[in-house]
Amino acid sequence: MKQLLAVALGVLTAIGGFLDIGDLVTSSVVGSRFGMALVWVIVLGVIGICVFAQMSGRVAAISGRATFEIIRERLGARMAVANLGASFLINLLTLTAEVGGVALALQLASSIEPTLWVPVAAFAVWLVIWRVKFSIMENVTGLLGLSLIVFAVAVFLLHPDWASLTGQAMSPSVPATETGATYWYYAIALFGSAMTPYEVFFFSSGGVEEKWTKKDLGQSRVNVLVGFPLGGILSIAIAACATIVLLPQGIQVTSLSQVALPVSEAGGKLAVAFVIVGMVAATFGATLETTLSSGYTIAQFFGWSWGKFRRPIKAARFHLVMILCLLFAIGVLATGADPVMITEYSVVFSAIALPLTYLPILLVANDKQYMGDEVNGRATNAVALAFLVIIVVASLAAIPLMIITGAGA
Amino acid sequence: MILSDLLTRPVIDAHGHSLGRVLDVRFVIDGAPGQLLAEARLAGLIISPRAATSFLGYERTDEKSPWLIASYLRWRHRGSFFVRWEDVDRLTSTRIVLARSYRKRSAALPD
Repeated sequence: MKQLLAVALGVLTAIGGFLDIGDLVTSSVVGSRFGMALVWVIVLGVIGICVFAQMSGRVAAISGRATFEIIRERLGARMAVANLGASFLINLLTLTAEVGGVALALQLASSIEPTLWVPVAAFAVWLVIWRVKFSIMENVTGLLGLSLIVFAVAVFLLHPDWASLTGQAMSPSVPATETGATYWYYAIALFGSAMTPYEVFFFSSGGVEEKWTKKDLGQSRVNVLVGFPLGGILSIAIAACATIVLLPQGIQVTSLSQVALPVSEAGGKLAVAFVIVGMVAATFGATLETTLSSGYTIAQFFGWSWGKFRRPIKAARFHLVMILCLLFAIGVLATGADPVMITEYSVVFSAIALPLTYLPILLVANDKQYMGDEVNGRATNAVALAFLVIIVVASLAAIPLMIITGAGA
Repeated sequence: MILSDLLTRPVIDAHGHSLGRVLDVRFVIDGAPGQLLAEARLAGLIISPRAATSFLGYERTDEKSPWLIASYLRWRHRGSFFVRWEDVDRLTSTRIVLARSYRKRSAALPD
């Protein structure tokens, strides 16, 4: 019974923790412009993140070490610097977007300007990282993030034309108002938002924080293979809400209030309350994860002691990196930069950096010296290699498409 | 001398023919006993006639997967060989010169 509860908790946390500002904004933007025609990308991205997250979770559980430490040791400094540079910079951009997301979500609740919320949000994040236990931090934000299920409920309350929705999703075509280039640009953005690199680093470092062993492999697999797809369904629900309400009225998504608009039409104030709680939890949870990831990647690369399981004084440089990254995010947002814009760029740049993040993980997960009998099977390798091809193509196509489309305008 | 003095450095034989670049160096741990391990001793250089980028660990012959990546890296580094440190005659400021009697040995690391 206790074990069942633990599994359920893990899955629920994974669902609630799956969505972040990138998924909220990108799914909604895509739904409002392309309807359901890009839903296949969400499905593809979720499969991809499942493959690589369970791989990095397995590396952590078997070797007892985080992916990044092994990358540095196994692939050498040059490869690790490329990996670190790409991952860290993207992560910093994502972190900034998430802090901005928390501020936007709090603005929905309070009508106080987001720029004023930014320092408060960043301070709260720091406090949680400094004081709160890892498992509590994960479970609380994950479970509260489940409020976003209200998007799925809203789809039903809006009584959509189901045949048309599924038709758009099953036989996708570029709407007359858009060009092929914008279609593929947003496909890459959506792919990047599902496969954001920090999730993988966070997942493997989290495994070390929670002291996973071979025994926990089953649980970690279930978390990923059940939790992430269900989280992906919420992502699809957000796109569907936008398709039903925003697309016909030609409403552009420029802030979180438009993301929430279909839900308020469907369920009124109560539903909006759920959305706000869910959005605050999801973005706050993702801010914690990206902040920790910035500390993890740097500390693991340089071989510093790291982890929330150590007292801050025992991992001082790890905590210092995180404080500096939060200050950076505050600084960028203080210039009045639009968090939604930052988010849109962060998901595309994520897509560009993906090969540098995922290739090393694949190599490490195949190394018998670290993994023993738990190296990747043939099927996993085949799927992972297929994804690497997709990842490389998306990465190469992203910048030309960004230029051609004027960043999707 | 530090590692960067050796890595990617062009290598020539005693007659001045180019042999490639230093791709990696190999150590054996058989020196004086240290606190944790014995001290490492430089055993020799891995020289690649083609690319001076890393083998990414696929010089170990029992590492075969993912097959596509393993075979690509082996193909890319075909013709790589190992020379003992004793076979190195001298280091100039730009090049590494091997002794007249040097022998090419296999770069593979068997299981």
